[in-house]
Amino acid sequence: MKAYNVINTRLPRVDARAKATGDARYTADLSMPNMLYGAMLQSPLAHAKILNIDVTAAKKLPGVRDVVTWKEAGLVKYGVSPARYDEQVFCSDKVRYVGDEIAAVAAVDLETAMEAVSLIKVDYEELPVLLDIESAMAEGAIAIHEDFPGNVSAEVHQEFGNFEEALKECDIVRTDRFTNKRQDGGFLEPQACLAQYDLNGNLTLWSSTQSVHYVQRSIAMVLGLPVGKVRVVKPYVGGGFGPKAAVNAMEIAACLMSKRTGRPVKMLFSREQVFLHSRARHQFFHEFTTGVKKDGTIMALHNTCYLDGGAYSSFGIATIYYAGSLLGAPYRLPNMKYDGYRIYTNKPTCGAQRGHGGVAARAGWEQQLDTIAAELNMDPVEFRLKNMMKTGDVTCNDFNMSSLGMQECLEGVRDGSNWAAKKGKLPRGKGIGVACGFFVSGAGYPIYRSETFHSTATIRLTEDGGGVNLYTASAEIGQGSDTILGQIAAEALGVSLDDVMVHSGDTDFGVDLGAYSSRQTLMSGHAVKMAAEDTKRQVLEALSEQLGVTVGDMDIAGGVVIFKKGKPDFSRLRTLYIKEHRGWEDQPSGAELTFREAARVAFITRGVIIGNGAYKPGELGGKYKGAAVGTSPAYGCSAQVVEVTVDEQTGKVTIDAMTDAHDCGFAINRTNVEGQMQGSLSMGLGEALFEEVRFDAKGRVANASLGEYRIPTALDMPNVKTVIIESDEPNGPFGAKEVGEGAIMPTIPAILNAIYDAVGVRINELPVTSERLFAAMKEKQKK
Amino acid sequence: MKKLITLTVNDTEYEVAVAPNRTLTQVLREDLNLLGTKEGCGVGDCGACTVVLDGKPVNSCLVLAVQADGSRIKTIEGVAHGDSLHPVQETFVELGAIQCGFCTPGMILSATSLLEKNPHPTEQEVRQALSGNLCRCTGYQKIVEAVQEASRRMKG
Amino acid sequence: MLLLPKFDYEEPKSLPEALAMLSELKGNGKVIAGGTDLLVNMKKGTVRPACLVSLKKVEALREISGEDGGLSVGSHVTISEIADSDRVASTFPVLARSASCLGSPLIRNRATIGGNIVTARPAADLPPALLVLGARVELRGKDKDRTVSLDGFFTGPGTSVIETREVLTRIVIPSPPPFTGADYIKLGHRAALEIAIVAVSSRLTLDKPDGVIVDARVILSSVAPTAIHAVSAEKALMGQRPSEDLFAKAALLAVGDSSPITDIRGGAEYRRDMVNTLVKRTLLKAFNDARDMKGGNA
Ligand SMILES: Cc1cc2nc3c(=O)[nH]c(=O)nc-3n(C[C@H](O)[C@H](O)[C@H](O)COP(=O)(O)OP(=O)(O)OC[C@H]3O[C@@H](n4cnc5c(N)ncnc54)[C@H](O)[C@@H]3O)c2cc1C
Ligand code: FES
Ligand code: FES
Repeated sequence: MKAYNVINTRLPRVDARAKATGDARYTADLSMPNMLYGAMLQSPLAHAKILNIDVTAAKKLPGVRDVVTWKEAGLVKYGVSPARYDEQVFCSDKVRYVGDEIAAVAAVDLETAMEAVSLIKVDYEELPVLLDIESAMAEGAIAIHEDFPGNVSAEVHQEFGNFEEALKECDIVRTDRFTNKRQDGGFLEPQACLAQYDLNGNLTLWSSTQSVHYVQRSIAMVLGLPVGKVRVVKPYVGGGFGPKAAVNAMEIAACLMSKRTGRPVKMLFSREQVFLHSRARHQFFHEFTTGVKKDGTIMALHNTCYLDGGAYSSFGIATIYYAGSLLGAPYRLPNMKYDGYRIYTNKPTCGAQRGHGGVAARAGWEQQLDTIAAELNMDPVEFRLKNMMKTGDVTCNDFNMSSLGMQECLEGVRDGSNWAAKKGKLPRGKGIGVACGFFVSGAGYPIYRSETFHSTATIRLTEDGGGVNLYTASAEIGQGSDTILGQIAAEALGVSLDDVMVHSGDTDFGVDLGAYSSRQTLMSGHAVKMAAEDTKRQVLEALSEQLGVTVGDMDIAGGVVIFKKGKPDFSRLRTLYIKEHRGWEDQPSGAELTFREAARVAFITRGVIIGNGAYKPGELGGKYKGAAVGTSPAYGCSAQVVEVTVDEQTGKVTIDAMTDAHDCGFAINRTNVEGQMQGSLSMGLGEALFEEVRFDAKGRVANASLGEYRIPTALDMPNVKTVIIESDEPNGPFGAKEVGEGAIMPTIPAILNAIYDAVGVRINELPVTSERLFAAMKEKQKK
Repeated sequence: MKKLITLTVNDTEYEVAVAPNRTLTQVLREDLNLLGTKEGCGVGDCGACTVVLDGKPVNSCLVLAVQADGSRIKTIEGVAHGDSLHPVQETFVELGAIQCGFCTPGMILSATSLLEKNPHPTEQEVRQALSGNLCRCTGYQKIVEAVQEASRRMKG
Repeated sequence: MLLLPKFDYEEPKSLPEALAMLSELKGNGKVIAGGTDLLVNMKKGTVRPACLVSLKKVEALREISGEDGGLSVGSHVTISEIADSDRVASTFPVLARSASCLGSPLIRNRATIGGNIVTARPAADLPPALLVLGARVELRGKDKDRTVSLDGFFTGPGTSVIETREVLTRIVIPSPPPFTGADYIKLGHRAALEIAIVAVSSRLTLDKPDGVIVDARVILSSVAPTAIHAVSAEKALMGQRPSEDLFAKAALLAVGDSSPITDIRGGAEYRRDMVNTLVKRTLLKAFNDARDMKGGNA
């Protein structure tokens, strides 16, 4: 492998010092002179007609500066997919879930704003509340959205190959069911925003978001402003994991009220509001029928899935496709049939969350495959190796595995966990399990139909040549994209990471679709690399004119100019630089011409040096309906082995050890790759063992707190042995592809398979609480 | 009615007039402009608001500012000495213990408090000490490793 | 963001001053100790006292001291002080153990033993251990003082015999008889920041190391409106020679003594099964400790 200076290292993150000292600013930390505070009125009922909204008392409260409802906000529909724009800033005709937004208030302080909210009187006529799929799909059920009778928000039917025909060749056919539970993102920073509309009619919104671009477009559309008049800025973000990928009503309300009052408006979600807004993982009800030959060849899968979508669509249209398409790999599967139904219910809206759409499907199917391996008397690792795809394979749904280190991953966890010494040899109550997974490395298409570039990047060199400013609208949300993109820029330009200043998360810096579908490293990385190469070219061209060396005979690396065919005399340039910086101590010296000197020459001869890059994926596979969801320039993959102890008298599961191998193509930053792997696994562990958003009979979230919605603590999560696999992705910058989401895929099924190994029961409903496992063991004993 | 209270925060004494219903988190953030202390839940569930109150790490969202009258408080802003980071901050930076950073101030304060009480904790003791500070990003491993490495460095 | 409603705040310098204040406030005042329970409820809007009376300045409430081989713990001693106290660990390890199960280290640094008792949450961590230890609590009012056994203190979820004008000042634990051992096990989902699904505390006293049970206490928590004695289990253990069979029998009887409900943390059936498991386990540990000890420790 090629030697690099900046990438494939363990350099500390560019934002780490600011975050370690408390200097890093998040949206809630911002304030402005003359700022108002906003608060929202949200529906206390899950389904009701709005008969009347009376804001008189709220308006009269001293300190209140604005009260808005649908009358002020208008009736523009928005959402994530243009095909399902079914949201409105404020409800006009009816409310569809507890938490649906009805009005907002801006006041001189938060206390006043909240008091005013409590003074708004709404008359409702209660409607039947549909809290689950069965009641929403029942004959004669009331339509939550008039345009969608039957409450089917989306429906997908796909068949690749011929499922029925293929079954005829199979020796084992199994049907199993599986369901997860509605999840919450559990990010530590609740959403927050600050909007400022200035005297020139320019709107700026600072927000805790994963995509400044989508928020900018949505706000412009809803408020009827030109996109160019709306700027969205993302300060540091305390985690997103999906739910922060789309615009929210609070952001639009803040903008609206700032526009109306001419004053900055700040709004914050409480933790409860985070749960009410949700937009997190759906509950999926899967049924898998899988056919396998005696020799262990997987032949066919029919996957049926019902998704409990909540009240609106959000990312759900993508989710329903992913719940089918993401089983197309990493095993060779010639015949795959999928039927998906996303159902509206009177609950908060579900959307995207880490491993979008594929996590429950993967969990259920990998558990079924384990059962099949056992029926075949095959070792689960061997069974998987036998069916594994390789680099260059194309799935039945037309995903091109342009790189796939799946075999290396499986072998990595097998050897790393000492599988052979443990499988089948552990005492009762202890178990070991394996599973695999894969994920897209960036959605192949934007969420709205468009020819847009997915990422642009600009590099501007400072006039003294010392600084490299990188501008990108990409979203650092904790995953480390600022560092990765800084490293890519530094490597491609030939300087050190310290020379690069990363400016990101601002629509003024370009277009970037944001942090979702694991796209920043590959897509924004490409754009940044191009911008750096463009910058380098310009510097070398300027140098070429001065030194008479052709551009092709020069390069920049490690902060100095490399002359491939012998060093010319550059003393004139050095003297010039030194003269211009009389009094400075840090003058260039030594035998090499520094990047600084070269960049200075470029500035003097050409003006400000600006390099540009822009990326969109090339031609991708799939001509069928829905091919836009799941096709990606590259796919990451992973395997995990989990070891558990089950307390048979209580049903309590303890995760003792985890071994994880992930093919990220090429690790731009090894520490960050491990961090994404470990973080994914802990989220997977939480979903497997604890996490479930619950509702009472009236559709109110029953556990809207981090006390009763349990994400793992430091005592619940074991250390993970991480194995990084690098398959050198041809479509990735420096060969890199995703790690941020794919790593969660195998976690749940590996845990389930380990539990089975420990106590011989299969759990097909998450989370595996001690109660659920105890009941299953009790049931088994009765039989 | 507002009360006049004295807080010694990061070795600086402040006199502030506060209404009794304001939490220590609010007063640190809003009155003293010490924005490194975060609020993730407001009810003791997450630890993002951790500060060291009279030598002990606590959830500042569940402390009334008036209850802290006369106390010594350390916030994340008081952990480094000028430009030089505390060993725990150093190892958090170097070993990748920070992702989104929202839990970081609280984690670092819990960790430094632990090391003051118990300079050479076992892995389990570190995990115990951090068990009131939730982190959704890291899976805790690099945080635990950073605390242990800081403990090694502080030995010398 | 959650805001607290408006209220007044007082910090009396002595207990009599505090008692006078509470009496004057006529039920509109509330004691605030660590605030980890009260402030959460106030943020959620479930309680709205007009005035909070902090006893922070009353030093006497912060003492742990030995008393006739037993222990006196001031109501404002924090949970972490109890968990870390050598005196507690050596006389009543079961109390230290239950203290170390509460919430998180951050919560334990604020939460007090008095607050844990007065909140009267059915799942509170300290009452089960305090009940097996036979603790009494001292309640002081402006005009009357009384000491009540913790056994008669709780009257329902969130309610107890304490009156709004009274202050719980200290908890008194009698000296343990020889050959006594005890245990507390809390079953939750996570390993920290958990409210118990079921918790059990048991204590056994033997007449001699390999003798018969002369005193048995089994407290079940989270399976009834308050922590309760598993009366039939206790009865079945008395006078018997300890054995695993006996403990299994007692555990089954304890299941009958419980009346769990299904709520967000767990189902009734599971809770009954867990009473069975945890009673067995706590009895076994209590017995082993009782037998191994020269006496005095519980
Ligand atoms: C995140 C979190 C986790 C928790 N986990 C647990 C847990 O695992 N187990 C558990 O048992 N509890 C738990 N709790 C609840 C709480 O922390 C404990 O009950 C704690 O012991 C309460 O003590 P305090 O000093 O904070 O009480 P406060 O909140 O100050 O007071 C509680 C109540 O008692 C009254 N009171 C307090 N002291 C006195 C007194 N001396 N005389 C008269 N009245 C008094 C107050 O008026 C108030 O009504 C948790 C709380 C939080 C926020
Ligand atoms: S904000 Fe205080 S614990 Fe979450
Ligand atoms: S780094 Fe994001 S919560 Fe810990």
